[in-house]
Amino acid sequence: MAQHRVATVDEIRPGERKIVQLEGRSIGVFNVKGTFYALRNVCPHQGAEVCLGSIGGMTVCGNQEDGTLSELRFEKAGEILRCPWHGWEFEIRTGKSIFNPLGCYIKNYPVTIGQKDVADGETLRVETYPTSVEEKFIIVHL
Amino acid sequence: MKLNNIIDCDVHPHPRNMEEIRQYLPLPWRHRLQMVNSRGMYMNPIHVNRLDSETPDGGFPCSDPDFMRTQLMDAYGINYAILLPRAFATMYPNPDFAAAVAAAYNDWLADRWLDNNNKDGRCKGSITVAPQDPTLAVKEIERWAGHPHMVQVMMDGGSRAPYGQRQFYPIYEACAHYGLPVAFHPGTEGVGINESPAPGYPSTYIEWHVGLMLAFQAHLISFITEGVFERFPKLKVVLVEGGSAWLPPLLWRLEAEWKALREEVPWVKKRPSEYVRDHVRITSQPLENPDNKQQLLQIFEMMGAKDILMFSSDYPHWDFDSPTRAFPKLEEEIKRRIFYENAKELYNLD
Repeated sequence: MAQHRVATVDEIRPGERKIVQLEGRSIGVFNVKGTFYALRNVCPHQGAEVCLGSIGGMTVCGNQEDGTLSELRFEKAGEILRCPWHGWEFEIRTGKSIFNPLGCYIKNYPVTIGQKDVADGETLRVETYPTSVEEKFIIVHL
Repeated sequence: MKLNNIIDCDVHPHPRNMEEIRQYLPLPWRHRLQMVNSRGMYMNPIHVNRLDSETPDGGFPCSDPDFMRTQLMDAYGINYAILLPRAFATMYPNPDFAAAVAAAYNDWLADRWLDNNNKDGRCKGSITVAPQDPTLAVKEIERWAGHPHMVQVMMDGGSRAPYGQRQFYPIYEACAHYGLPVAFHPGTEGVGINESPAPGYPSTYIEWHVGLMLAFQAHLISFITEGVFERFPKLKVVLVEGGSAWLPPLLWRLEAEWKALREEVPWVKKRPSEYVRDHVRITSQPLENPDNKQQLLQIFEMMGAKDILMFSSDYPHWDFDSPTRAFPKLEEEIKRRIFYENAKELYNLD
């Protein structure tokens, strides 16, 4: 599994994203409340660049059994990606769609945080981010 | 740039802002046009336009002819884009104001999208008319009929009456006379002065939007049972964005009842499906999308899609159909008819 440094942790703030090209693939790297996720930038529906969509929450309601079917709740703020074309909803954490999690999903990739390794020849790039916090890298595993 | 033999029959140019339209409106109407182009209700609560269709300088989607070409026509190799502005002129109670709004959109469309920024002539326009006063609509058609890039007349699907009724005949007479198809596009159903095609008013955008096909079904039944195509043998009708998969069973029912009730409508001299084949074209977006794609191909067969269906994307709206992704794999001949030949013949394009 190839590892790709895509950004420093400070570069993608909570609620933000960065689109990167890895091995010829466009991939969106998201920061959801301090945790990073990577999704393929292709919507399974009609191929839109799904990672350019809006990031928000979703409206849900209760159920008939306990009488709360009409009670609306807004949840998962900042965890839902909506495709910029048709508005299909996906969980950023998993890539799974809301309407059919098992059958319709965006491919996702493991993400880890790595420390600066001065021996790996990335010194020039590291110097672009001089503070100590920025020595932590976001790594996407393809 | 490679052209792929695609004619997109539903592209929506928008003004950068309403001031752009206002400058074409004479007084006293200029100050009565609202500053936000909205029908005021039944708006998509997620987003109205593709989020990636804002112009590079942050402008309104599809408000820049050059960027439209880049993102749509050049990206997919589209030969021609048929432009349908959204004036929503049918919603206004004042017939003079409605006609003035329609005229302003036509002047704007010609100025910004057809006469200018259109050197290769690949953008073709629609003449917006307001049917509130058919005589004013005819005057507007006459004003544009000779324009080299205006290829059809357009009204909203929203209406106070089924469009086959006789009060609209002056409009159809002019369309037939000038060889201009008349297109219907959704947008004002149940809005302003228009009736709702559903019983009463839908609660939500999704209910309203799915139900748009109801207006188109009602108008089509009206056109056929009123004998409009016998009265205007050269008239062509284009049903835009009203769906298409409903057509075969509707025609089965209509034909079955015509066999029994011909007595009531003796001007219906042919099988309804023959009028559709000879006079009606229907655009593809939003294409119905069954899990089993074979079922859609069967519906194409049932409706005679190779003769009547025309590709459309609805760019830049949220429910855009991609030319490369919306359709299941088609045989080459029917693909060429749907994506190119049917529109080329209808609009007399090269």
